[in-house]
Amino acid sequence: MSTDVQTIRQTTSSIPGKLPLSTALLWFCALIATASPWFGELSPLDLLAAFWTYNGEQYSSVLAHFSWAPRVSIALLIGCGLGLAGAVTQQVLGNPLASPTTLGVEAGGQFGVTVATLFAPALLTFSPDLAAVAGGLLAIGLVVALTWRLGFSPVTVILAGLVITFFMGALNMAFLLLKGEWLGNLFIWGAGSLVQNNWDPFLDLWPRVLAIGFALVLLMRPLQLLQLGQASASALGARVALVRIIALFLVVLMSATVVSRVGVVAFVGLAAPVLARLLGARTLAQKLIWSSLLGSGLLLLADTLAQWASTWGNGSLVPTGTTTALIGGPIILLALHSVRNTHHMPGQDSSPAGFVPVRRSTLIAASVIGALLLAIFILSMSWSPGLTQWNWTPVSEWGEAWVWRGPRLLAAILAGVALGLAGTLIQRMTSNAMASPEILGISGGAALVMVVLILTGTELGRAGQLTAATVGATGALGLLILLARKHRFAGNQLLLGGLALYVFMDAGLRLVMASGGSVATRLLNWMYGSTWLVSEHEAIALLALILALCAGLFLVVRPLTILPMGDTTASSLGLSVGRSRLILLMLAALLTAAATIVIGPLSFVGLIAPHLARVLGQQTVGRQLVVAALAGGLLLAIADYLSRTVIFPNQLPAGLLAALVGGIYFLWGLSRHGRS
Amino acid sequence: MAFPWASWSVRPASGYPMCIDQRHSFTRRACLAALLLLLPGIVAATSWQHEQGTLTLDKTPTRVVALNWAATESLLLLGITPVGVADKEGYAYWVREPALPEDVPNIGTRVSPSLEAIAELNPDLIVTSTEMAPAANLLEEIAPTYVISVYKEGARPYDKAREMLLTLGDILDRKAEAEAVLADISNTLEHQRQRLADHGLNNKPVALLNFMDDRHVRVYTSNGLFQEALDSLDLKNAWPHPGSYWGFSTVGLEAIAPYSDSRLVILEPIRPGLTDQLANSPFWTYLAPVQQDEIYQIDAAWPFGGVFPVKRIAVQLADALVKGGSDNVH
Repeated sequence: MSTDVQTIRQTTSSIPGKLPLSTALLWFCALIATASPWFGELSPLDLLAAFWTYNGEQYSSVLAHFSWAPRVSIALLIGCGLGLAGAVTQQVLGNPLASPTTLGVEAGGQFGVTVATLFAPALLTFSPDLAAVAGGLLAIGLVVALTWRLGFSPVTVILAGLVITFFMGALNMAFLLLKGEWLGNLFIWGAGSLVQNNWDPFLDLWPRVLAIGFALVLLMRPLQLLQLGQASASALGARVALVRIIALFLVVLMSATVVSRVGVVAFVGLAAPVLARLLGARTLAQKLIWSSLLGSGLLLLADTLAQWASTWGNGSLVPTGTTTALIGGPIILLALHSVRNTHHMPGQDSSPAGFVPVRRSTLIAASVIGALLLAIFILSMSWSPGLTQWNWTPVSEWGEAWVWRGPRLLAAILAGVALGLAGTLIQRMTSNAMASPEILGISGGAALVMVVLILTGTELGRAGQLTAATVGATGALGLLILLARKHRFAGNQLLLGGLALYVFMDAGLRLVMASGGSVATRLLNWMYGSTWLVSEHEAIALLALILALCAGLFLVVRPLTILPMGDTTASSLGLSVGRSRLILLMLAALLTAAATIVIGPLSFVGLIAPHLARVLGQQTVGRQLVVAALAGGLLLAIADYLSRTVIFPNQLPAGLLAALVGGIYFLWGLSRHGRS
Repeated sequence: MAFPWASWSVRPASGYPMCIDQRHSFTRRACLAALLLLLPGIVAATSWQHEQGTLTLDKTPTRVVALNWAATESLLLLGITPVGVADKEGYAYWVREPALPEDVPNIGTRVSPSLEAIAELNPDLIVTSTEMAPAANLLEEIAPTYVISVYKEGARPYDKAREMLLTLGDILDRKAEAEAVLADISNTLEHQRQRLADHGLNNKPVALLNFMDDRHVRVYTSNGLFQEALDSLDLKNAWPHPGSYWGFSTVGLEAIAPYSDSRLVILEPIRPGLTDQLANSPFWTYLAPVQQDEIYQIDAAWPFGGVFPVKRIAVQLADALVKGGSDNVH
C-alpha cells in the first residue's frame, strides 16, 4: 500500500500521451486483425452492419452477424470486465500482482463447474453462474481468511492465492484424470474459448458486467482512501475492511460470471492493469479506465490470434486461454523492471519474531523423522490392497513384492529428499523462507521443456529426460537470478519471474488439454508425477545421483552460510561470490530436475520440507538441509503409498496427492503464522 | 438412451476355461530363449514381430490382460474373455459392444494401470499399445507383451485394427473367428452400402459430429476409424481436413458452417438442454443442413475402438439416413 503514497500528490497530473495512443493502437490493430478474414466476403459497411442486422439470403452475412460480431463484442466486454476487476483487485490489496487469476478465483470457478458437471448437471442448466460463483467465492474466501490477520500483506496474499490456485487445480486434475471421458467439454472450458453462435450470451452478460462495473465505480472514493494506507484511511472514516470485502466480492462476481460462460480466460485481469501502469496510469480513475480499455483490446487481439491459429492448423480449435497466457507472460516479465521493491515478503529476514521457533536437537528431529520413514517403508511394503481384499505381506515375500512397491517408493523418497535439499538451497540463497522450486517456477521451467518434448512427440529415455529437465530448470533459475539480481532476490521480483514462467507452462498445458484425447491425460499424469513407471535400475541410478549431489552439498555449506550476509561481506570473508553462486545454482537446478521427472512440477515439497525443518528447530544451514531432506522424503513416501492404495486398482499420481497434502499444510502454516 | 444391439452376436465367452498357468518369470523366458537358440526345431515356439520387439510363445496363451479398450474389444470378438481389463466401467459405458462380462476384474485406468494388480492376475499375455511405452519393460517382467497401436501418427486405424484382430487370432489360435468377424463386417458394410444406394442416399457428403457443449463440436476426420465406414458406404466426409491421430478435431460450431452441401450426423450422448439451446440459436437454424431437415442423430459408437465400431456406426448411419432427418437433435 505504500507504493502509491507519493503518487497521490500527482493526482492532478495529466495522462501521459502514450497511454491513449497505445490503447488506440491496440484497439485499431485488434479490430483490423479480427475483421481482415471477412474483407473478401463482405464490404466493410456490411461488416459493420453485422453488429445489428443481417441478410438472410447471404450466408456469410448470417455467419458474421451470429458468429463473428457476438464474438468480437463478447471479447471486448469480457476484456473490459476482467481488466476492471484486475485493477480493482490491485487497488484493494495494494498489490501489483493481484488479479482474479492469481487469487485463485478462476481456478475456484473451474472447480465449482467441474463438481457441478459431475454431481449436479441439472444445476448447470438451471444457472451456469451459480457453481462458478460459489467456487470463486470459496477460493477467494480461503485466501482472505488466511491472510486476514497479516493485513493482506501483498506478497502473502499472492502466495496464498497461488497455492489455492495450485490446490484447486490439483483437485480439478484429479477429477479429469479419473473421469476424463465424462468431462470432455471441461477440457475446452478450462482453456477458455470465446466461440459464439448467437447473441444470447452477450445479451445475457452485458447487463451483469455493467451492473457490477457500476458498483465497482461507486466504490471509487473509498478505494481511493485505501491508497493512503490502512491507518490513515481509518482515521478519515473509511471502513477499510468492509470496503475491501465488498470490492473483492464484486470482483469474484465479475470473474465468475465471465468464467462460467466462456471458460477460464486467464491473465487478462493481471496483464491489463500492469500494462496500464507501465504506460503511465497514475490515479485510481486513470487505472480503472485504462485497464478496462486495455483489457478489451488485449483480449480481442488474443482471441483473434487464437482464431488465426485455428485456421492455420486444420481448423482445430486453439483456445483463447492459450493466447492470453502467451501475451500475459511477457507483460508480467516487463513488469519485473518497473515494480519497485517496497513490499515486505513473509519469511524474509525481518519476519515476525514469533515465526522463528526455538532450536532443537538435530539428532532427535532426524531420528524421529527417520523412524517415521522406516514405518512408512514397512507399511508400504507389507500392507496393500489386492484385487479381492487387503493383504499383509510377510517379510519373507518382500522379494517378490519389491518389484511393484520398492522402486517407486525409493524414487518417491529420493525425489522428496532432492526437493527438500533444493528448497533449502533456494531459501538460503534468496534469504526467503517462502521461496521454493515450485513457487519460483524452477520446476515449471523443467516441466515446460518436458511439455514441449511431449508435444513434439520426441521419445526420450530417462537420461534424456533428466538432461532436458535440467536444462529447463537451469534456464528458469538462471533467468530468475538474472532478472532479480539487481533487487537482491527481493520478494516481488522473484515471484513475478516465477509467475511468468508458470504462465508459459500453463499456456502449453491448456493447448494440449483443449485438443483432448489421451495425449492430454498422459501429460497430466506426468505433470503430477508418475512414480509407478520407475524401474528398479532407474531408482538405483537416481539414488546414486542424489548421493553424489549430497556429497557436493558438503562443499557449499560454508558459502551458503555466508552468501546471505551480502556480497561485500562474503567476498571480504574470502569467498568467490560469483563462482559459489554458480555452483549453488547448478546444484539446486539439478536436484529440482531430478525430482521433477519423478514427481512432476507441482508438488509443494520443496516449499514445505525446509519450512518443516525450521519449525522443528533446525536453524543452521547444515542441520536444516539434513532435516529438510528427511522430511521431504517422508512426505513423498506417504504420498506414494496413498496414491497406490487409496483407490486401488486405479491410482492417482503421487505428486497430485503431495500437492493436496502439501497445500493444506501450507495454508495451515500460513494461518498459524498470522496468529502468532 | 436405448441401445438396440446389432443382431450379430459374439461367440459366448463365459464358458471359456480359465486355467491357472505358472508364472512366467523373466529369467525363465530368457533361459527358454537361450535353449531355443541351442536346440532349433525341438521346441515348437512361434514368434510375432510387434511395434516394440518380438513376441515369442511356446504355447497358446489363455490368461490375457487388455490395457486399452480396442484390445478388450478385439479379444471379446475372438470369443476370449480377458482375465483383466483397464477401466472396466468406462468400457461398459462408452464402448458397450461387444459386451464385457460382469465378473472381469478391473486393473486400473488406461493411462496408469496398476502393475501389481496385473501381476496378481498372473497373465500369460498382455495386449497394449505404444502409449504404454514407458512401462514396456515393467510389463514384460509380468508376461509376454503384444504391442499394437491402432491410433498412432500416420497409421490408418481400421487397417491397424484389422491387423490387431488377425494377429491376436493367430496368437490365440482363433484365426477362423478373426476371419469370420471381418467377413461379417464387410458383408454388413456391403449390405448397408447397397441399401443406401437403393434409396439413392449416398450422393451427399456427411459430417460426423459429437457436441461437446452448445458451442463446440468434435468432428470425425478422414484419418479416423469412422472414415472406413464412410468409405465402405460410398459416403463422402464433409470435413476436408485431417485431425489428430485419434481421427478427430475439436472445432467451434461455426467451423462447420461453410460446408453447406452436407448432412450432419450427430452422435449421442446429447447433453441435457442442448436441443433448446440449438433451437433458440438463429445461427443453428440458418445452417443449410438444418433448413433442409438434414440433421440425423445416432447412438453412441466408440470412435477410438477396434474393428467393431465401424460395423456399429455403419448400420446406424444407414438406418438414420433411410429413416430421414429432422431440424434438430432430440
